[in-house]
Amino acid sequence: MSGELSQAVEAAQAGDEEAFRFLYRSLQPGLLRYLTALVGADAAEDVASETWLQVARDLPNFSGGEFRAWAVTIARNRAMDHLRRQRRRPALPVPVQELSELAGDADTAERAGESIGTEAALAMIASLPPREAEAVLLRAVVGLDAETAGRVLGRRAGAVRTAAHRGLRRLALMLGQPTEECDEPAATRATPPLPRTASQTPHAEPVDG
Amino acid sequence: MYLRRLEGTGVPTDHDHLLDAAREPRPTAGPSDSPDPVAGLLRAAAGPPRPAELVGEEKALAAFRAARQAGLTAPPSRPTRRRRFTAGVVVWIAGVAATATAGAALAAVRLDWPHERSAPPSTPITRPVAPSPSAAGGQPDRGGGTPSQGVPGAAPTASPGVTPGVSAEPTEGAPDPTTSASPTPEPPQQREPAVDRTVQAGPGNSDNTADRPGLCKAYLSKPERQREKALRTPAFSELVVAAGGADNVLAYCQAVLAETDPEWLARHGPAAGSTDAAGLLPAALRRISP
Repeated sequence: MSGELSQAVEAAQAGDEEAFRFLYRSLQPGLLRYLTALVGADAAEDVASETWLQVARDLPNFSGGEFRAWAVTIARNRAMDHLRRQRRRPALPVPVQELSELAGDADTAERAGESIGTEAALAMIASLPPREAEAVLLRAVVGLDAETAGRVLGRRAGAVRTAAHRGLRRLALMLGQPTEECDEPAATRATPPLPRTASQTPHAEPVDG
Repeated sequence: MYLRRLEGTGVPTDHDHLLDAAREPRPTAGPSDSPDPVAGLLRAAAGPPRPAELVGEEKALAAFRAARQAGLTAPPSRPTRRRRFTAGVVVWIAGVAATATAGAALAAVRLDWPHERSAPPSTPITRPVAPSPSAAGGQPDRGGGTPSQGVPGAAPTASPGVTPGVSAEPTEGAPDPTTSASPTPEPPQQREPAVDRTVQAGPGNSDNTADRPGLCKAYLSKPERQREKALRTPAFSELVVAAGGADNVLAYCQAVLAETDPEWLARHGPAAGSTDAAGLLPAALRRISP
């Protein structure tokens, strides 16, 4: 997978358009899903196309390494720029709200067991606390390993692993999977996840930072 | 460790494995091989691309094409930057060297030619030696060659002639339309020698060698590696023209300096190299920064 990818990167650097198409096709879906969680579905497409613009422009200067991590870092920076711009103009709807509504719809999917739709699954992940959602998306959807995801996020690999674990556990609770541990309150669907993390797991935050 | 604590609590699945397996084409391979809802969710989240997600493909490819086009016309950025930096340093050193030596060279030249050259600057204010504007227009770069002669002369002759009254009445003594900008009453034949004089002192004229010894010294002061580059800079273009080509500059300069400043030539020698340039630079720096 990654060998194929780095071959395509080299070919694209040499000017092979089909290789660039391959890069786009293999990365764009995960990138867009990740960006949707970051900036919302409306803006994600714009941010993604900004990202590809920059990837195309800077590809000649890309010097080895993990291409996906490089591109995702660009995407994340563009997303942060977008959020900063958006904060300056707060008239726009907050994407998190839409996402949690989507997540509410997604709960119906739990009855269908594993045959959950992509949209619903993504919405559920997006409803996680941001750090956990990012960690899960980078690991599972973009396909980065913990070390690389940590580099993208500017955090240690252990912190990414922790966040992903917690995210998955939270997802399991959302799905109503019976879990043995009782240290976490089982009232998952009734209460929104965000305030719960704030109160529940303050001890791990310094690790993340 | 926190992870172990997590695992120890009895979470049945290996989360790392779930995360890694999410993108694999065919699911399962889970440790328990049982339908795990979280695994299913992750697989769904990492599901195959949907058409709507790839709508930007042509746009991205267009960006790729455009970037490639721009990359083909412009060389790769890194070597360019380095070359530009080197060129900047060379130009800067050339400028410093020229500044450091030009003063002495000018003084030496002044001493060499006391006749006739030093006279004009005092005269043009009283006598209209300087050219009419039409003549000045014909010699646009004259100021570079002899700044002390032409430029101060042009302004004083124009200003006494062009009074508001005269310019308001163009019929008075200005039959030639080219001289209408300065309708001074002097007859045209008085202007003729002035034009000749400026032509004589123009930049293409071989008499105008005021700063060539200085340029030569600057050139010879450079390390040999830098000489070739320096000749491509505008600062030395006059020297190249005067010598009749970049290859002849060394011989030309030695000839010029043998005439004007044999002492300097003897001191520095034809192979004056990096030691001189290194010695010159701090001196020039001291001159610039007070």
